Amino acid sequence: MSYYFGRGRSKFTPYLLLLPGLFFYFLIALGPSIATSIYSLTDATGIQGSTVNWIGFANYKEFLFMGQASRDNFAALGRTLKFCFYVTTIQFAFGLIAALLVNQKLRGVSFFRTLYFSPVILGVVIQGLIWSLFLYPLGGPVSKFLDLFGVRSEFFGGPPNVAFAFVMVVQIWANMGTTMVIFLSGLQTIPDELLDAAKIDGANKWQTFRYITWPLLTPVVNTNLILNVVGSLQAWQLFLVLVGYRAGTQVLGYLIFAQGFGQTSGSMVNSFRQGYAAAASMVLFVLVLVIGLSIQTILRRREIKLLG
Amino acid sequence: MIKNNTRSDVNYQKSNIRKPINWGAIGSYALMILIALIYIGPLLMLINVSLKTQSGFMRDATSLTTTLNFENFTGAWEKANFPTYMLNSIIYMVTATAIYVVSAVFVAFPIARNYVKGHRFIFTLFIIALFLPTGLIPLFQLILHLGLYNTRLGYILLFLVNPIGVIILVNFIKSIPKELDEAAALDGCNYFQFVFKIVFPLIKPAIATVTILHAIGIWNELVLPTIYLTNQKFYPITRGLIVFRGVYGSDWPSLAAATIMLMAPMLVFYIFLQRYIISGLTQGSIKG
Repeated sequence: MSYYFGRGRSKFTPYLLLLPGLFFYFLIALGPSIATSIYSLTDATGIQGSTVNWIGFANYKEFLFMGQASRDNFAALGRTLKFCFYVTTIQFAFGLIAALLVNQKLRGVSFFRTLYFSPVILGVVIQGLIWSLFLYPLGGPVSKFLDLFGVRSEFFGGPPNVAFAFVMVVQIWANMGTTMVIFLSGLQTIPDELLDAAKIDGANKWQTFRYITWPLLTPVVNTNLILNVVGSLQAWQLFLVLVGYRAGTQVLGYLIFAQGFGQTSGSMVNSFRQGYAAAASMVLFVLVLVIGLSIQTILRRREIKLLG
Repeated sequence: MIKNNTRSDVNYQKSNIRKPINWGAIGSYALMILIALIYIGPLLMLINVSLKTQSGFMRDATSLTTTLNFENFTGAWEKANFPTYMLNSIIYMVTATAIYVVSAVFVAFPIARNYVKGHRFIFTLFIIALFLPTGLIPLFQLILHLGLYNTRLGYILLFLVNPIGVIILVNFIKSIPKELDEAAALDGCNYFQFVFKIVFPLIKPAIATVTILHAIGIWNELVLPTIYLTNQKFYPITRGLIVFRGVYGSDWPSLAAATIMLMAPMLVFYIFLQRYIISGLTQGSIKG
């Protein structure tokens, strides 16, 4: 490709200016990412200047096969899958319904769209604090509402499975907007003429959706599914804000953080086992990779069948 | 054709006689309002509590506030050390975003234009990064060994990369005609001037998207300050608020006021820059 900005030495200007960005990329993103696999084979800690020993697959062995800890790890792994399943399906369904609703030619739909997307910009701290208050167990609005039916709940302070369920609620509430916007972008590519033609041919709303809208949404359906599955497998920060590191609620992402950096804050970094945490993050990575790729394959096949 | 015409004629006449009730629209509004309640409810609760007194909150957490206790805001502002944390957040956000965006444009432009050898390979590297796990542990070791643990510089360094931003920029730059480069070069414009003075203004929408995506990410970040900053002096506002909760956890009126103060700037930005924010965050989550 021809370069117009001078010859000789000035030909190297683009390389020179590209260097900082590329350097940061290797230093902060690609390098550490690859090095995780190497660290997982060591006994590294957070102590500055301590020696790091090569210990082979001991971290993996311990993580997967040794005693109570490995049983806890598998429980966390199961919870991660459960979290992924519920969050993905519910968020997917609500995102689709919301997108169909706000895609209509009705007054005020843009207000609702703006509102539904708003938690996405707020981040986990605000999302978490808002819901801690909304689910305030001593006379908060939800608590009062449940009182009408004689139901009492401690929400995030309740039994582990209750706390876990409510974190899923917040997770879905917080991220539904993204799913909705992606569905919307797909809905807007469907030409009006097609929907009008179906109407003229006597198709009712459900038939129009089932046989025209849904198949044509296939690309965004795939995007959303992959995104929700991979995202929810890795999500854990709402647990940090809402319930803390509590037995019976941990997911893999939180487990990695707790092993590597301590359970709530980084102030006691020294005692933490970063080699072990690196091994745990490799386990999570493999899980994400396997599930992500299988879903990708299934979705591809479906897309070929539907759209050719 | 004829059949279709008659059918719509019939409809037309019917609607002239008596406007039918549009049940579809009513149902839609009902559903939209129902969902909206789950989104507005927690927010209203937050605002309501932020205006209550502590004793009023203890008496009844939910009832409409009878006081306008703005002292919660001033109190939290001082107690939570807000000015310092807010300033830190702004420093981190502005510095890291500015360096990142400029460096990303200088990466994206030559890739989009094939001005560097191996441009395809470099682009692939950025796409691969979207699928790799974040190297939390090695990155920590790196920052520790560079002596940048618990420093502002080290913290900013963490935010100088965002592969999706580069990808958005490359795709956008490709839509700008190459003839422009040639014409500018003929007029004696050098590479740096061209990128800075001509490309930057032309790709404003993409830059806005990438800037917002990156800046919001930094503003909302909680995990990285938890890991890398132990000195309170360096805390960004998110970390500060979590610490504040740890100390004043039962004082919900103050905590609610503090939460609103953290949230307000984002919401104002959101209302004015909605289009860019939605496209930025959505593209940011799609990742390739």
